Amino acid sequence: MTDSGDALLEVRRLTKRFGGLTAVAGLDFDLYKGEILGLIGPNGAGKSTTFNVIAGAYGTNEGEIRFAGESILGLAPHEIARRGIMRTFQHNRPFGGMPVLDNVMVGAHARFSKNLLQIVLGGGLVEERQQRRRAAELIEFVGLSGLRDAEVGTLSFGQGRLLEIARALAGEPRLILFDEPAAGLAPAELERLAEIIRGIAARGIAVLLIEHDMRFLLPLAHRVVVLNFGARIAEGTPQQVRSHRAVMDAYLGDAAAL
Amino acid sequence: MSYLRWLGVFAVLAALPFFLGNYHNDVYRKLLLWITLALGYNFLFGICGQVAFSHFAFYGIGAYSVVIFLFQLHLPLPLAVLLGIVVCVVLALAVAIPSTRLEGFYLALVTLALAQLFIVVLNEGGAVTGGTGGITNYRLPEVLGQRIAGPWYTVVIVGLLLASFAVLWRLDRSWFGRACRAVRDNPEAAAAMGVDVARTKVIVFTLTSALAGVAGMVYAFVDNTVNPPIFGLDNAFLILFMVIVGGAGRHAGAVVGAILLYLLPFWLSPLVGHHHSLVFGVLVVVAILLQPKGLIGIYDGFRRRFA
Repeated sequence: MTDSGDALLEVRRLTKRFGGLTAVAGLDFDLYKGEILGLIGPNGAGKSTTFNVIAGAYGTNEGEIRFAGESILGLAPHEIARRGIMRTFQHNRPFGGMPVLDNVMVGAHARFSKNLLQIVLGGGLVEERQQRRRAAELIEFVGLSGLRDAEVGTLSFGQGRLLEIARALAGEPRLILFDEPAAGLAPAELERLAEIIRGIAARGIAVLLIEHDMRFLLPLAHRVVVLNFGARIAEGTPQQVRSHRAVMDAYLGDAAAL
Repeated sequence: MSYLRWLGVFAVLAALPFFLGNYHNDVYRKLLLWITLALGYNFLFGICGQVAFSHFAFYGIGAYSVVIFLFQLHLPLPLAVLLGIVVCVVLALAVAIPSTRLEGFYLALVTLALAQLFIVVLNEGGAVTGGTGGITNYRLPEVLGQRIAGPWYTVVIVGLLLASFAVLWRLDRSWFGRACRAVRDNPEAAAAMGVDVARTKVIVFTLTSALAGVAGMVYAFVDNTVNPPIFGLDNAFLILFMVIVGGAGRHAGAVVGAILLYLLPFWLSPLVGHHHSLVFGVLVVVAILLQPKGLIGIYDGFRRRFA
């Protein structure tokens, strides 16, 4: 974790309204290279909205999001992915008509350099082989080695989650957004997942996690931002946040959850 | 596939017409053209998941364009072909750009309208399109002083088929093919992976439409006549049936489907007359209900069991 230096992701005064409802209200936070940042808060606090605005799924024009010094606010999801921000989905969204390896290779979509004419004329074979090898490495990294050629329909839910992660890594991201990665996983799978996320951060990739499961998140995150009613009510290390008064109030005395 | 294999396939397919009589040569040529069309439509519908009914209309647009440019405007052959492709590309872009930005079945509706409109334009086109009678009594201009005819023209069609297949094959086995399948399987996840979904759809639609147009240009000199009934909407559905029955998303499926549904009427007609479309309809329903992966899916199943 690096506390000094320029932030990779800078979110400033971010606001998102749905009609009369303000889901995110002037949110500020920074995220650094190699850091695991948890975004938490009770239901309806604006976590998912924040996530979707950063990923480009929701548009807004209030506030600012800068990634590596460049404004990415208002860009389409595919443009955000091309800049090096990849994401996973809370409900796995595999490409059902392709084997595992090809699913991962779709993640590398923006990393191919040959254009269609070059491909038609027989080019791109070297690049194809290289990405195939990289995808196989990533499949191994998340622990799906034996399932490289499997149809995605045959994977378990937990394996599908790991596939989401390998696919996101294939895009050579500088930032990965995890949308409730622990949801639906068994305890043994959670341990494995935490290990993988630590491994990702150790590669220097910034990690933004939205999570409900505090027992999963707090030991994992370097820093936590707590949202309530779309605004930041606390920020700090998991230890600091755990004992924060406003946070306990936000969770309505549900201190056991923390 | 290695170059040697491509060459071998070409040699066999190109040698065949020299052993066929006139009638069977005609059947063979049309079969090759149907396979070409089905391969292109499979890329659009089976691989990229876009439902469109304009594939056969673009075949007609290509055929009419080249004939009009050659014999009404008296342009040289290379220019006529080039302009024919331009017409297909411009029309495809005009249809695809607005409709792919919309969700759902807009492409299907717009292309259905285009296919219908095309027939109206042909019928009402006066001297330019020859109206209901179309344009007849023309011949392929000489190419480099040579008149290509008979089995040699069939060789041209074999070349067209293999060239189209090679283009689609190469694209399918690249990042582009995977992007197309991703768009088909889950557009939202595809976008999150960096795929420009709208752009991918537009490119696939334009490319496959232009390929259909080129096939149509080649067809124009098979019967040496173009008229509105040839390009009717029933053929748009026939291509769709070929791809579904054969196995959507698989090149081999498109080939098998095209062969089966093109040749079936030859055997069925003596039995059921013109009711073979009814048999097709039943076949498609059966395929969708019992074997969504088509005939090629059945073959895969057998291979898995016995391999």
